Amino acid sequence: MAQQAVKTLRQVKPLLSLDQGQARSRVLNLYKAWYRQLPYIVHKYDIPKSIGDCKNKLREEFLKHKDLTDVRVIDMLVIKGQMELKETVNIWKQKGHIMTFFKDTEEPKPTDFLSKFLTNTN
Amino acid sequence: MASILRQLTRTIRSPIVQNRVVASSNGLRFKTTAPAEPKEETRPTVRKFDPAQREQLKDFGQYVAECMPKYVQKVQLTAGDELEVLIAPDGIVPILQFLKDHHNCQFTNLTDIAGMDVPSRQFRFEIIYNMLSVRFNSRIRVKTYTDELTPIDSCNDVYKAANWYEREIWDMYGVFFANHPDLRRILTDYGFEGHPFRRDFPLTGYVEVRYDDEKKRVVIEPLELAQEFRKFELAAPWEQFPNFRNAPAASEEIPIKDEEK
Amino acid sequence: MLRLGISKVLSGAKIQHVAVVSRAASDIAKKPEKIEVFIDDKSVMVEPGTTVLQAAAQIGVEIPRFCYHERLAVAGNCRMCLVEVEKSPKPVAACAMPVMKGWRIKTDSEMTKRAREGVMEFLLVNHPLDCPICDQGGECDLQDQSMAFGSDRSRFTDIDFSGKRAVEDKDIGPLIKTIMTRCIHCTRCIRFASEVAGVDDLGTTGRGSDMQIGTYVEKFFMSEMSGNVIDLCPVGALTSKPYSFTARPWEIRKVDSIDVLDAVGSNIVVSTRTGEVLRILPRTNEEINEEWLSDKSRFAYDALKRQRLVTPMVKGCDGQLKPVDWEAALLTVAKAMNQAGNKIGAIAGGLTDAEALVSLKDLLNRLGSENLCTEHTFPMDGCATDLRSTYLLNNKIAPVEEADFILLVGANPRLEAPLLNSRIRKGYIHNETDIAVLGPKTDMRYDYEHLGEDPSALNQIASGSHPLAAKLKKAKKPLIIVGADAMARADGGAIRTAAMKLSQELQSNIVDGEWKVLNILHKVAGQVAALDLGYSAGVEKIRNADGIKVLFLLGADEGTISRDDLPKDCFVVYQGHHGDHGASIADAILPGAAYTEKQATYVNTEGRAQQTLVAVTPPGQAKEDWKIIRALSEILGSKLPYDNLDQVRYRLEEVAPHLTRYGAAENANYFKQALAISTMAKGNISNSPLDVKQKKLEDFFMTDAISRASPTMAKCVAAVKKHMESKY
Repeated sequence: MAQQAVKTLRQVKPLLSLDQGQARSRVLNLYKAWYRQLPYIVHKYDIPKSIGDCKNKLREEFLKHKDLTDVRVIDMLVIKGQMELKETVNIWKQKGHIMTFFKDTEEPKPTDFLSKFLTNTN
Repeated sequence: MASILRQLTRTIRSPIVQNRVVASSNGLRFKTTAPAEPKEETRPTVRKFDPAQREQLKDFGQYVAECMPKYVQKVQLTAGDELEVLIAPDGIVPILQFLKDHHNCQFTNLTDIAGMDVPSRQFRFEIIYNMLSVRFNSRIRVKTYTDELTPIDSCNDVYKAANWYEREIWDMYGVFFANHPDLRRILTDYGFEGHPFRRDFPLTGYVEVRYDDEKKRVVIEPLELAQEFRKFELAAPWEQFPNFRNAPAASEEIPIKDEEK
Repeated sequence: MLRLGISKVLSGAKIQHVAVVSRAASDIAKKPEKIEVFIDDKSVMVEPGTTVLQAAAQIGVEIPRFCYHERLAVAGNCRMCLVEVEKSPKPVAACAMPVMKGWRIKTDSEMTKRAREGVMEFLLVNHPLDCPICDQGGECDLQDQSMAFGSDRSRFTDIDFSGKRAVEDKDIGPLIKTIMTRCIHCTRCIRFASEVAGVDDLGTTGRGSDMQIGTYVEKFFMSEMSGNVIDLCPVGALTSKPYSFTARPWEIRKVDSIDVLDAVGSNIVVSTRTGEVLRILPRTNEEINEEWLSDKSRFAYDALKRQRLVTPMVKGCDGQLKPVDWEAALLTVAKAMNQAGNKIGAIAGGLTDAEALVSLKDLLNRLGSENLCTEHTFPMDGCATDLRSTYLLNNKIAPVEEADFILLVGANPRLEAPLLNSRIRKGYIHNETDIAVLGPKTDMRYDYEHLGEDPSALNQIASGSHPLAAKLKKAKKPLIIVGADAMARADGGAIRTAAMKLSQELQSNIVDGEWKVLNILHKVAGQVAALDLGYSAGVEKIRNADGIKVLFLLGADEGTISRDDLPKDCFVVYQGHHGDHGASIADAILPGAAYTEKQATYVNTEGRAQQTLVAVTPPGQAKEDWKIIRALSEILGSKLPYDNLDQVRYRLEEVAPHLTRYGAAENANYFKQALAISTMAKGNISNSPLDVKQKKLEDFFMTDAISRASPTMAKCVAAVKKHMESKY
């Protein structure tokens, strides 16, 4: 039994963190880094959102992945988040890229049969 | 030049060959274990290759495998005369260092790094390094493998050229290169999500970009396709004829000597 | 043939093989011993009499051919299938040569290759180099095989500058375009015309390089299945006229579907490009259409772009139909229906699918109405349509060719179901089936005994007083096929009872338990599904119901009901795809989808459920039919409990489980019980002569809303009429 269990467990190469705790602190660090940059982002990109909106959005984006447990998956997201942060802070992005987080131009799709029928979307 | 390479490999190999000759009654050891030599290519539409050059590449491939037995898993010839060395992902830096700096190799030019995605495999990505030895006018291909989450060692310290190639593979396939000095996107737009060369990434992408007159900026929205999906029929009508079915194999393996045996 | 997958070729071979075995088994008890032959050094055991080509196909070795076709007689004149046989001095023609014990056949040897190359060279010397402007380009056997087996260089030099052989083109009708210079004289078209279609119009004249295929005198190739020669032609000599210069095969999308223009339910492939149906080709289904297709099914597709209803319409105060949006149209209809209470009736036409039928029935039942009927009449007395065996082609289509006696009652299968007729003709040719016809004398392309037009002859045969009775009783596999026109008569019930009685008598003589004598042949694709779902047949119910306030026409276009049959204030809703009779009397129009535009279930006359698939999207604002009814139900306030196709299908399965078992034909039983119930009904056969609506070929082409809107079909009718006037 024990041998079988060992067999199913695959030895993997860590991405950054060795255990859950390290991954957690990396995520928190990333969150803090973003959080501290928010006022500058709002100011520099001149986006029509308040800092409060942005904080909510930041929280929402992080909470999207709240159920992840695999350390490597969390690490990968942290790496991508850091890159995103760098792109944002260095103003490599443009206003449109930041506003994409808010999805303010997307119209909600109809979900019930009749409105789908009438709007020609089914 | 190639003859130098050949002589060098011969001299290194010779003691082992002699040992074997003593051990086995069959003197022509390499002839017996090697796969049946393909007949000389006569088809008019297929590129012909030089058998002598093939022989050299074979010897050199075996030589590399002998020098780095820990990492080299397989050596093969594809398309007749292209040498490929298939290695474990851990060995990428030592192998490339060896191929670049060893006196008999001197593959000083990293021509290209390519990625390949085969989702059905356990390690779905293949990373392929193409190298050129200007000294010996010879090319070699090194292949290794990884999955979405396993990092690959960056060979930026060996080849400066690898910097952008690795960024490209990171961007297109999402393979993370550990110890890369400046790993960030290179081709996709800022904020772009996903890795476009993965086989599960749709041809059309997920988002569309347009300029919104009202908002006075570019907006990115989920894709809505107006055009119908195009499907192509790729089966050739004469595939059912046996002649077209038994095409020669794409690659042939070169046996690696195993010291334990 | 090159384009058939190898598995398909193999399965074809297997079926033939099985047929051989079963025939042999029924004749003599012992099986003939198999013989061993070697194909490319692979051993294969085959029946004696198998040709080299069939033996090779059994192990997946495909031998190229032009003239050989599995469903036609062997001609052996193209020589493309030459193969080397060891110890034989000359190569042999694989399609015609039966194998001998121990033969070693080499399909890939030097001699074989040289033989093929030589044959290709001779064919190409007399073949024009017009592939770029040829309609067959890309799906041409000659093109494919010259790529695979031909020489890679040409020795053809026109030293005299006399040009290649040229042949005058023939005019053989509005469907088939001929470019006879391209002909390689494989004679497939000639064999098809004489063997399958039964129209001995095509033949060869001249010899050697003067040989020509043609009709000898100037006449049309007048058959209801003439389009099949287009598929048979391995080169571009016979191509489709309506499809000419339209598209290349590699740029079109192919969708497997079902034909609905007759009740046979032929399997088809719909070719589309950029939301337009470009052509329709048959798809092989051994149990239904083999690989043939009738001309109506093949060429009526151009109607899918004409006379279409593309937007909802409502009659304004000035009495004119005005285009409105869906919301307004549905609200208007819902208002009328709400006011009508349960005084609502519905008539389903012949092209309606099972999904639309079940949703309409559910909706009307929810509103408290039972006035649902089909447009095509069927006897509703006796056991009515309670037992499936009384309205199906019980013995299925394929076994028709095994019958030894067929009695047709008030049916003209040649025009009502051409593919069934081809089966009858096959039996007539290969099995010497005796055929007798009760009904008007029509040309069916085989000889039959005409029993007059008096339907009471059925009773005479049953009682044994008719001269035919003895012969019929001796038959081992008799069939009675009753046509839809006989069933539509006022005394249809009595005719059916008589037919049932007769078949019950014959049934008792039959050893084969699967064989069923009684068969009903329908004319429209939607009828069986409607009867399965409990619609009553015929519009009498609507005529007799008093004070109908809303009449819902679901694709009912035959004009069986008119404004005069309805109360003055009756609100008529038409839902369908073509502007035909139904739309002309409607107060509101809801545009639906035609059969190429929806995934829908149709049940053919055998009771076999099959589904069409979406090839193109419906034009304009038209929608799938069940969705319209579903949306209407929600606006009416009695929402139907299905939102997607799977849920509708689930509902279909609840009502009639066989409707979702696609491809399978459920056997119908309870013949005795059906007869017992039917005999209780009163009513006698009247003396009026039996009649069929479609008598001549010109009646074949335009029978429903789709084919009536088709310009090609109109051309066909004109051509047949013109042809009748010509002296040939």
